[in-house]
Amino acid sequence: MKNINISKKTIIVFIAIQVAIALSAFILFGLIPAGREAGKISAIAELKSDGADTELPEGTLKLIEEVRASEHHEAYLRSTLKLSRKDSIALLIDLNDSLAFLSLKGVYLYQSKISKIKINKGLRKMPYFLRDSLYSGPLQVVEEISSIEKFPIVVKKAPKDTSEANQTGAAPTLPIQNDVFVLFSFSNNMVIEIDQEEEELAGTRRAYRQYKRHYRRWFMSESISSLFDSDRSGYIYHITIKLPREDARSIYRALPLKPYVVVRY
Amino acid sequence: MNKPDSKNLLMVSLSIALTIGLIYFYLSKSETLKEAAISFYSFPDYPQALAGKDSMQLTKQISATEKRVFALQKKIENLWPYDPYLIINTTRNTFVLRTKRQILREGICSTGSYILLDAGDGQQWVFKTPKGEHRILSKVVDPVWVKPDWAFIEESLPVPSVNDPDRFEYGSLGDYALRLGDGYMIHGTLYQRFLGLPVTHGCVRLGDEDLKIVYKNLQIGSKVYIF
Repeated sequence: MKNINISKKTIIVFIAIQVAIALSAFILFGLIPAGREAGKISAIAELKSDGADTELPEGTLKLIEEVRASEHHEAYLRSTLKLSRKDSIALLIDLNDSLAFLSLKGVYLYQSKISKIKINKGLRKMPYFLRDSLYSGPLQVVEEISSIEKFPIVVKKAPKDTSEANQTGAAPTLPIQNDVFVLFSFSNNMVIEIDQEEEELAGTRRAYRQYKRHYRRWFMSESISSLFDSDRSGYIYHITIKLPREDARSIYRALPLKPYVVVRY
Repeated sequence: MNKPDSKNLLMVSLSIALTIGLIYFYLSKSETLKEAAISFYSFPDYPQALAGKDSMQLTKQISATEKRVFALQKKIENLWPYDPYLIINTTRNTFVLRTKRQILREGICSTGSYILLDAGDGQQWVFKTPKGEHRILSKVVDPVWVKPDWAFIEESLPVPSVNDPDRFEYGSLGDYALRLGDGYMIHGTLYQRFLGLPVTHGCVRLGDEDLKIVYKNLQIGSKVYIF
């Protein structure tokens, strides 16, 4: 087999194209959306801050932090109370105490310990008064992606005769239990991801890969559509919580379609 | 003349494929790119109106907020039923019998199988336990099961008329039943080995001892939460 001769010029052009693509991608999918969102936040922050950009003593800052935390706790409880007037089950995520609750009319039905919390940089950097007011809720889920079905229906044809009925009736038909990964998206550029804490998959890799494909596709379509829509920044605030697999399954299946979520930071 | 052409074509095709692959890669990693880009920005975390207050005023504000928090917590607690109530988890097939303050009993149960029975001619039944807040409508000792149509179709037997004696089955619901309405009940079972599994036609099945305690503690009007 003969060697392929590639000229230096070709190599340089090739590398230049790749670098240009990398740079353009960073500008288009990184800097532009982040810059737009930063501009939006700065504008609101300026509006709300009343220009109070003074250096404060440590003790005062600590007290301010306490005021902020207790006021946020109050707002969280008010949201919980507000949701208690609805007839559907809601999800309460208490990041402060690492707990996730299911609540119906104010009654806590289920509680699960969150083993891991991941909050993306945008949400961590956001001024607290904006985060607490705009990204705390009650927020209604607009779209969801999940690795499991909400209603695990198993279709069974009625038996034709008694002998077939005796055969099918002997052992119960149980639904397949896949691994649990869920993504809830909201109208305010925020997503909450609920993942099982178990690293090892209990179900098929196919179901997991299918979820990941939908997951990637969702983020990609958000990135592309924000390029053509100047009203959308394209930056997504992202919270990931990890729960035991069966807890995550119980929570997801208990929630109605388009459920309400409240977050305490 | 032909050889260099095909070589060039191969190189061009490879470059195009690599470029497209790279664009897809960056697009799929757009979240990482945004995370990297947001690092360049910072936002002032203004303490707003709080900045103008002294320690005394702030401490006062904290205690006032904490009082409101306590009042709200009380308000939420008041929403919890005072009398014993039952919570049923249809995913894990577990139950908790509790009061506002303590758990009285917890264990396994059986709930709806989520089987869709298709009998043809548009006749279908979905065997699921209804989620939401329910109340105990009536309590029965030694309940008799009035078999609905699907019970016969499932066994491929002819469906009898409404008051046919074949409709009445004795002993299969255990010693007690608590009615939730629409034909749904909390009752016992002959199939104790299936407890903890989703195998019912929508009713909630409990083990004998659990059923006895649930029956004793729940009154007519008691709340049952199913999720």
